[in-house]
Amino acid sequence: MTAKIALKSLGHEYVNPFTRERVVALDGLDLEVADGEFLTVVGPSGCGKSTLLGILAGLIPPTRGAVLVDGRPVTGPGRDRGVVFQEFAILPWRTVERNIAHGLEIQGVPRAERAATVQRFVEMVGLTGFEKKYPHELSGGMRQRVAVARTLAANPEVMLMDEPFASVDAQTRITLQEELNAIAQATRKTILFVTHNVEEAVFLGDRCCVVSRRPGRVKALVRVDIPRAQRTWKLFTSDPAFGVIKDHVLRLVRAEVGGEEGGR
Amino acid sequence: MVVTWITLLAAGLGAWSVAAATLPLPDYYLPPPTAVLAAFVDLTVKGILPTYVFASLRRILLAAALGLVVGVPAGLLLGMSRRVADFFYPLLNFFQSVSGIAWLPLMLVWFGFGERTILVAVNYTVLFPVIFNALLGVRSLPPLYANALRTLGAGRWRIVRDVVLPGALPSIATGMRLGLAYGWRALIAAEMLVGAHGLGFMIFNAQSFHLTARIMLGMGLIGLLWVVLDYFLLRPLEEATISRWGLVQR
Repeated sequence: MTAKIALKSLGHEYVNPFTRERVVALDGLDLEVADGEFLTVVGPSGCGKSTLLGILAGLIPPTRGAVLVDGRPVTGPGRDRGVVFQEFAILPWRTVERNIAHGLEIQGVPRAERAATVQRFVEMVGLTGFEKKYPHELSGGMRQRVAVARTLAANPEVMLMDEPFASVDAQTRITLQEELNAIAQATRKTILFVTHNVEEAVFLGDRCCVVSRRPGRVKALVRVDIPRAQRTWKLFTSDPAFGVIKDHVLRLVRAEVGGEEGGR
Repeated sequence: MVVTWITLLAAGLGAWSVAAATLPLPDYYLPPPTAVLAAFVDLTVKGILPTYVFASLRRILLAAALGLVVGVPAGLLLGMSRRVADFFYPLLNFFQSVSGIAWLPLMLVWFGFGERTILVAVNYTVLFPVIFNALLGVRSLPPLYANALRTLGAGRWRIVRDVVLPGALPSIATGMRLGLAYGWRALIAAEMLVGAHGLGFMIFNAQSFHLTARIMLGMGLIGLLWVVLDYFLLRPLEEATISRWGLVQR
């Protein structure tokens, strides 16, 4: 079976505009993601995880190596790879439903079909009743739901998520993680999810990729063999299997931050 | 609010009337409000005032149209590339601050004593704040929005239509409002120096004949016309874009 996503000795360097120093963000990173797999990427701050995701999205050109999606090299952004950003990236001048419909509009989907699809995803992310609201009328968690729904509605092959829940409060984060788990189970989409939060990485991932500190390389791949249906925070905190994996990943990450507090 | 305004207006007019009647000054120093009203009726009946008001409004609306059709697209276009925007920023800032009035002496040499000079001065004055603010509007948009749309498969034109234009709209509205406010001042000044029509011409010309009531009438109308234009056209436009999108977003 060929991989859905293949990163081949990926490297990225840039010159810091302030210090004029050459920074090696990624150095020969190899990684494969299977079709329908949920892969989480976890590592210390500044290890190049976000750069990795930007390269996959086609927004940052790699300075070395290649990215293949379905065997074809990535040369720029495309609708086969949907992205949910860390910051709120939905448009403030569009209502919830118009934001969610945006990808479909771009694809030229007829209005009636668009409305039906939007409604389906509004329900999926629990925003029923908020269709006509503007983003500034919503909480942070709701805005990220809109962003997730917008990406899902466009029906990409691959979903790339860059710490999407980092800027919402802890309670909402747990809800969003459980919802994303359900969505992953329902849609069977290939998802690459970047986070610095070890618990989140273990809770969501089929596999958890630990990235070394800069320059980023794959340090370890940890399989999380727990069925999606069993992934609730209640079980997560009580199931010893989860605990063992979490401690293992946490140790790997902490070794990279050099004794600092890893994960949250 | 309205009651306060009317009370204040009545008090002002009363004080003015009393001062005009009691101060030991020649009549043309401070004519009473009734004289201004008489000048208004007289000039309206003769058709002079409507002609002048129309002339001034026509000039400023022409400049507004040019600002909208040329200034806004120019500003958006310049703003879309960081390098181009960085290059033009100081230039635009420079020309924005050299007001049309400061250009008048040079424009008189180039375009003569006539309509052409007035139009060039006013259009110039309106255009630069409009271009400048449209450029700022585009520049201050986080690249995140355009990037997000690109990942949804959007092309360049789609990004201009769905991100750049609506995102810069509040700034465009501010630019139009500012530009026209500056332009209105420049227009009156230009009319005073070169006009044969218009409110600026009217008040400057009246001075040679000591027609003080006519000067006051003109000044009052200059202020009043702007307030009406601003209140009913420009401010609603600005507020509609800013408040509806909650651009005090985080």
